[in-house]
Amino acid sequence: MDLSLCSGAQTCWNSAEEVPIGVLRQREAKWLEMLNSWDKWMSKKHNKVKERCQKGIPPSLRGRAWLYLTGAKVKREQNKGRFEELDNQPGDPKWVDVIERDLHRQFPFHEMFAARGGHGQQDLFRVLKAYTLHRPEEGYCQAQAPVAAVLLMHMPAEDAFWVLVQICEKYLPGYYSTGLEAIQLDGEILYALLRRVSVVAHRHLKKHKLEPILYMTEWFMCAFSRTLPWSSVLRVWDMFLCEGVKILFRVGLVVLKCMLGTQEKVKSCQGLYETMELLKKINPQYMREGFLVQEIIELPVSEKDIEKEHQAQLRRWKENHGDLNCKSPPRMHGAKAIMTAEPPSRQELRQRPTIIVESPLASKTDVVPEDKAKGRIKTTNENGQTTVFPTEEIVNPSDPSPALEHMTIQGSKESLSSAEQDTYL
Amino acid sequence: MGSDDSYNFVFKVVLIGESGVGKSNLLSRFTKNEFMHDSRTTIGVEFSTRTVQLDHLTIKAQIWDTAGLERYRAITSAYYRGAVGALLVYDISKHLTYESAERWLKELYDHADPHIVVMLVGNKKDLETLRTVPTEEAKDFADKKGLMFIETSALDSTNVEAAFNEVLTAIHKKVASKEVTRGSISAVTLSGSLGLTRESQEEQKGCCKS
Repeated sequence: MDLSLCSGAQTCWNSAEEVPIGVLRQREAKWLEMLNSWDKWMSKKHNKVKERCQKGIPPSLRGRAWLYLTGAKVKREQNKGRFEELDNQPGDPKWVDVIERDLHRQFPFHEMFAARGGHGQQDLFRVLKAYTLHRPEEGYCQAQAPVAAVLLMHMPAEDAFWVLVQICEKYLPGYYSTGLEAIQLDGEILYALLRRVSVVAHRHLKKHKLEPILYMTEWFMCAFSRTLPWSSVLRVWDMFLCEGVKILFRVGLVVLKCMLGTQEKVKSCQGLYETMELLKKINPQYMREGFLVQEIIELPVSEKDIEKEHQAQLRRWKENHGDLNCKSPPRMHGAKAIMTAEPPSRQELRQRPTIIVESPLASKTDVVPEDKAKGRIKTTNENGQTTVFPTEEIVNPSDPSPALEHMTIQGSKESLSSAEQDTYL
Repeated sequence: MGSDDSYNFVFKVVLIGESGVGKSNLLSRFTKNEFMHDSRTTIGVEFSTRTVQLDHLTIKAQIWDTAGLERYRAITSAYYRGAVGALLVYDISKHLTYESAERWLKELYDHADPHIVVMLVGNKKDLETLRTVPTEEAKDFADKKGLMFIETSALDSTNVEAAFNEVLTAIHKKVASKEVTRGSISAVTLSGSLGLTRESQEEQKGCCKS
């Protein structure tokens, strides 16, 4: 792994996990730079993007970064007006009824979702209902609600909708479909991979015939959002949305290994029920942000391993149950795969904040308002060159350390000027 | 909860019924004496135990709770395995949740032990003014199907203890009767797969005593 992982922010591996403000400003600058030339970074410096997701996306830019990583930004641009159109439809009463019953049951202690009929719950309804109209054959599945709620904590309803669409269709296809076959298959994959990670844990689960769906359904369907402490949820999601489902597998494997990985540990929990109880009460030390992220990064379970095991389990499934009832699209392993499958145009990646605050500090305009942008696009096309993207010399992505001093000054200016033009801050 | 207590029997009881009828609150009221208006939706499986004294016996009740949404029924066979009792819950203020009882019953008998003790539970009895399921109607249905019947309120605790205790007593009666101990998977699995080791000897004694 690149040494730069630790440059400037070793603290991110340790406890408390408070990122010093200076480091945070630098990271914000780096992320703004990446978001401004997203296509270049994803095609040429993808490893850097990955590393930065592993370090944690700065909170102020997390929503926007997730929108870009998942390809939801492109989807939204390609389907302008679609969300509004779905939002204006009443929805199938069958789904509306179930969704309404769930609105007050998502993160009930989060201030955004605490109030009945409050704006958080209203937006949650809009996003989930829109999804049932977008995919009427899929409808609504309860685990989608916490996922949508996490998204709404970071972005407006329309963006949350498109990220949800991407998660359901690209990252975790079939997870929420009738029959829940995809989640059962992934349970078997997790169990098979565990043998390589911890023989002791694997043997223990086998001995007590503890079926994966009894402990991993909530973990995977909610992408650990209801399992881990909040800071760890966000770090896991940063990596999950960048690298895909293998991150969920790794979290699951780390937890199983830590909780059931030694003879001593399994001796103290004899029985199926006792094991389930143990896995419900994961020791907080194993879920701590710094520890967990490090373990996830170091665990050698690749996309290839998962795909290979997927094929093996699929064969077994067909032998036991026949063909899958629900044909899901193939799973995309992360941001790069999604972008490669459907290369976006620069137009679709352009940032379009809805609120622009003119600032004397903002000497250079790297974002343009919607209406002005239209004019700008024209001239851009005529001139045959892009003027809206910032130059690359601000940050040299391959060599960040020597430029650190310089970066701090540049970075904070960059951060400040951009922050004032940011929709989500 | 009380995993180190000694006990004579472990009974696995499952909660089933539509989403939002109050299964999770029945569980938390019985095992922790807690009620939450905005409890999280259940995704996957939740469970809790409580050890109760019935006559001179100590019974450890493992209560399992799962998601009520239709979609999750695809993954419930593991959930029913080894269950010796079930509370089929509906909401007395939502007739639809009562109408689906028949479907749940079929689902239960498809997956669980045929000797399983089943109780039909009309929950949210505190919402008397909004009642849409008359007590008599539900009681007749339960009689017809050979189910026990009770109305509860997890909110104000009405009949929650009674519901679980009656089911546990009925299970014990079945287990103690010869007819069930022979030939019934559930009675055998009680000490087998429900995970007794250190306590299994006490369990044996308990069995002989009863």
